[in-house]
Amino acid sequence: VTIHLSIVLFLPLAAALVGALLLPAPAMRWLVLAATVGVLAYVVVMLADFDSGSGGLQYVTDDEWISELGIRYQLGVDGLNLFLLALTAIAWVPCTLWSVFREHERPKLYFFMLALAETAVLGAFMAQDLALFVVFFDLMLVPFYFLIGGWGTGDRVRATTKFVIYTLAGSLLMLAAAVALGVLSTPEGGQISFSIAELTRRSTGTGTQEWIVLLFALAFFVKAPLFPLHGWIPETYRSTPLPVLALLSGVLSKVGVYGFLRIVLPTMPEGAQHWQELFIVVAVFSILYGSVLAFSQDNVRLVVAYSSIAQLGFITLGIFSFDDKGAQGAVIQMVNHGLVVVPLFLIIGVIAVRAKGSESLRELGGMAFRAPVLAALFLIVTLATLAMPGSPNFVGEILILFGTLEDKLVYGLVASAGVALAAVYMIRVYQRTMHNRVGPAVESRDLDRLDFVTIAPLVGVIVALGVYPQFVLHRSEDAVKDKVQVATRQSPGS
Amino acid sequence: VSATSYGWLVLAFPLAGCIVVSLLWDRLPGRLSGWIASGAIFGAFLSSIGMFVKIQDRPEEAKSLVDTAWTYAATADFKVGLTILVDPLSVFMCLVVSGVSFLIHVYSVAYMTGDRGSSRYFAYLNYFVLSMLLLVLAGNFVILIIGWAFVGAASYLLISFWYRRSTATYAGIKAFVINVIGDVGLVIAAFLLLDKTGSLDYAGIFGAADNVFRVDDGTLVAACLLILLGAFAKSAQLPLHTWLPDAMEGPTPVSALIHAATMVTAGVYLIARMHPLFEMAPTAADISAVIGTATLLFAATVAVVTTDLKRIIAYSTISQIGYMVLGVSIAAYGPGMFHLMTHAFFKALLFMGAGSVIGAMSGLQSIDRMGGFRRAMPFTFVTFTIGALALSGFPFTAGFFSKDEILGFAIARGGGYVVLAVIGYAAAFLTAFYAFRMVFRVFFRNPVPEARELEHGHPAHHEPQNPATGEPEDPDVGFPGPEHVIAERSWPMKAAMAPLALLALLAGVLQVPGIDEAVDKFLEPTFADSRYADVHPSTGTEWIELGIGGLLALAAIALAYFIYIQRRELRLVIRERFDAVHSFLFHKWYFDELYDLLVTRPFAAMGRFGRNVVETDFVQGTIVGGATGVVRVGSSFARAIQTGYLRGYALLLALGVAALALYFLISSS
Repeated sequence: VTIHLSIVLFLPLAAALVGALLLPAPAMRWLVLAATVGVLAYVVVMLADFDSGSGGLQYVTDDEWISELGIRYQLGVDGLNLFLLALTAIAWVPCTLWSVFREHERPKLYFFMLALAETAVLGAFMAQDLALFVVFFDLMLVPFYFLIGGWGTGDRVRATTKFVIYTLAGSLLMLAAAVALGVLSTPEGGQISFSIAELTRRSTGTGTQEWIVLLFALAFFVKAPLFPLHGWIPETYRSTPLPVLALLSGVLSKVGVYGFLRIVLPTMPEGAQHWQELFIVVAVFSILYGSVLAFSQDNVRLVVAYSSIAQLGFITLGIFSFDDKGAQGAVIQMVNHGLVVVPLFLIIGVIAVRAKGSESLRELGGMAFRAPVLAALFLIVTLATLAMPGSPNFVGEILILFGTLEDKLVYGLVASAGVALAAVYMIRVYQRTMHNRVGPAVESRDLDRLDFVTIAPLVGVIVALGVYPQFVLHRSEDAVKDKVQVATRQSPGS
Repeated sequence: VSATSYGWLVLAFPLAGCIVVSLLWDRLPGRLSGWIASGAIFGAFLSSIGMFVKIQDRPEEAKSLVDTAWTYAATADFKVGLTILVDPLSVFMCLVVSGVSFLIHVYSVAYMTGDRGSSRYFAYLNYFVLSMLLLVLAGNFVILIIGWAFVGAASYLLISFWYRRSTATYAGIKAFVINVIGDVGLVIAAFLLLDKTGSLDYAGIFGAADNVFRVDDGTLVAACLLILLGAFAKSAQLPLHTWLPDAMEGPTPVSALIHAATMVTAGVYLIARMHPLFEMAPTAADISAVIGTATLLFAATVAVVTTDLKRIIAYSTISQIGYMVLGVSIAAYGPGMFHLMTHAFFKALLFMGAGSVIGAMSGLQSIDRMGGFRRAMPFTFVTFTIGALALSGFPFTAGFFSKDEILGFAIARGGGYVVLAVIGYAAAFLTAFYAFRMVFRVFFRNPVPEARELEHGHPAHHEPQNPATGEPEDPDVGFPGPEHVIAERSWPMKAAMAPLALLALLAGVLQVPGIDEAVDKFLEPTFADSRYADVHPSTGTEWIELGIGGLLALAAIALAYFIYIQRRELRLVIRERFDAVHSFLFHKWYFDELYDLLVTRPFAAMGRFGRNVVETDFVQGTIVGGATGVVRVGSSFARAIQTGYLRGYALLLALGVAALALYFLISSS
């Protein structure tokens, strides 16, 4: 039992609290930034120190929290969440850095919310107790509610309302599901427990599992989001401040699909099997629907928004292929999607500044003219987003496709059309922003040093993972295999 | 130094060149970036020679070497390393690719002088060559697919190099998307092969194929057809050819690079590389041969009526690739690869000549505007004519030996293949005709004003404009630079064209029937396992077949001379008489219109339907409306609860966090 994870988890929040109470606003931003860098440093050390030979949990923290309810303060890292923690740590640094150098109203509150969000997301990824997971999952909602409502653009009230209604509905469903799972899995005369390891050992009836899985799935699909539960997407994406949106789309969207692998598959394998076909259909439909819609959007943010629906569709498909390769692909794809979406949104911010705030493809164009460095970075991100072979995203997608084709040939073939469609909508965005005649609103100039320092390291990570994706696969393989095997194993009773 | 070490060097040089030029893009003066890039490719060429020498030293049965740098991705049965395969086929391809690419780089140094994006140009060019070399050296399917997709991306970048031209960016996207469709085909093919043979390495797949697959096994045929999807997308074979003529939007040396040494030949290489599979799936091989033949005829007919100089050569490329596809599909591996090589020489040469003429026309490309450049541009005239002779298969030029050997092999296979050979001969007649249609209309007859001025030493200068649409342009980044360069006034262009002209004339000596057949012999170890190794026309028959090809070429050149020089009014008479045929060919058999109707429009309509109907009515209307509707039912009561609940909820969570933090602080002390 170690204290490391707790330090990482509460570092941002602690820094924000200290800063908010003791420091003036300018100094507080720097403290929050330092905390995100500290988290990143800690995670980098963890990546190096991680024992890839073991599929089990490492750096475990396990204490009683609310013993009457069987809720434990239980944190741990294995191959499943290691890289999601890394993604969180990596994503928060540039998004905070981006914010540090821009003026905000009520800066203290803004940075407090940003830091609170990081703690919440890290907590959701680290939690090994279902109740703890639910707490952090819901806690994530709070800072984003404030960030969108307080610092959003356009019709932010409507956007926030929609975001809250949707995610709240999802959270309540999940809360109900979690409670139900905890209570119904408690054996006669036994002590209730929410520990995921304990829940995995206990078993509930197949019928019970089926409806509980459905509740979880609704919550996770809203969060991802997948078709047709994506109704909150257009308004929220239009209104959210870009660095916040980068985090929302790049990192938060992964918590739901991660929940499938961490909670649903191990604790309710039969329920998951029951809905496999339906979830695959939802995933495949999301891939196609998101791709087609992404192609027909005019607002750059919305192109990325709908492309995310397609990408999350791929990830869900990989998970419910119930295949080692597919699930492994899903895990690496969660990381990859975050790694491309964060720079994408930051680049959209850079573009908008050069186009009098416009994010409409009709008004953009020719940005590369005086901005070759911006064009080059954007190009790499674009190609990675459309999963060009050689990018880490390709490894994710090919594993997902291979995993799906193995048992579900037809779905795999339909999904592979999504790969081609991604090329269409992403290269269209690149062309309409960087190429063609210089747009009416566009004043092309290259990245300044700050934007370069914010975006270029992310591009560097993408390139590095493209050269050596085995870095991720090697460390996550055992844990992922473990989850899939639990899900596909027949229950002893049947 | 071993052969595989040279193999890594072949990749390292262009990679280093690309990185250096990219990072120092704004610090390299004048032509330096071009020379660095050329040097990098020359390094790759020398390393290829190193591979060649090393592999020649090895015994016949040990000429296939594999080397893995590191594990790329390995999980479950998906095990892939960054692996290269050095064998006679890949060495042959490396030599051709790096050699011709080097000359194209040298040509580009002069051609792109004054273009404000020249560093970016050479970075892309090096990246392109790197991709192609990676593709041919790949030792397993995943690395192949990576090289394959890199080539597609590089071609996208180079086709839309003048990125402020919307015609160029449109052409780039077209090429990219069609290539991605091919990539998807390869990915699924790789899955089928992995699923059945348990391996993604070539050696593993070919080794297991004999045991797992029956001849014409359904899965195997499916895999082969998917491989063909990839091959045809890249090699611009029917019906995936439409991107290639549009790819002429790129700078002319790019056309030479895409069309001569790299990219379009990738499909031919792939079929040759996969020959153990295709020989076990004769159905797929036959489909490939038929499509190759259909393509070579189709493209030749279109080339006869096209008026854009570069597009004529582009259709010629599609047609010539058709010959190669036919060759490797009917197991004529040696002749197919030999034609790939000679074609690389004469096609690069033709494009370079065309670039020089277009330079003299100050950017205009229509042959209707050209004429009489013979005296003004003697060097371009001679070299271009040599290229045209080789393309026509004029006796004893390089094309004469390579093209007709493929057809001879088809006849030797007998049966239906003879029909393919006859169509091949018919198209060969058309080939010689359109080749000399270009020569006669560009270089002969009365000089146009541009040619006359040039004879007096004044190069033409038109206001910069898009040659396709006539839109005005400026010479800054993203449009062609202000200078137009012709070979007569630029030594790097001459230095690139002269060796190619020699090779186009003389490369046939490598493969004279009955005398040396050096290419066949060199490649033999790769194709030793072929079931058709003993199918080969006798030397006598072969010479007869070559003779037929040569006579057809002579006749077609004579006909072109008659129509375009002697009886010029005939051209219009014929066009009017056969108006329907002319317009059918001029619209390129209406493929673009067909795709617009079948693919582009339905896709756009689906997008509109999704946006306007599904999103607004279903998702926003029914689902969101329903949710908000439920909330509205209780009106103020519900709203009060909702907002009140929210506030309480947030408070509760905040308290929870505080409690958690507190608890943690206490418990850990």
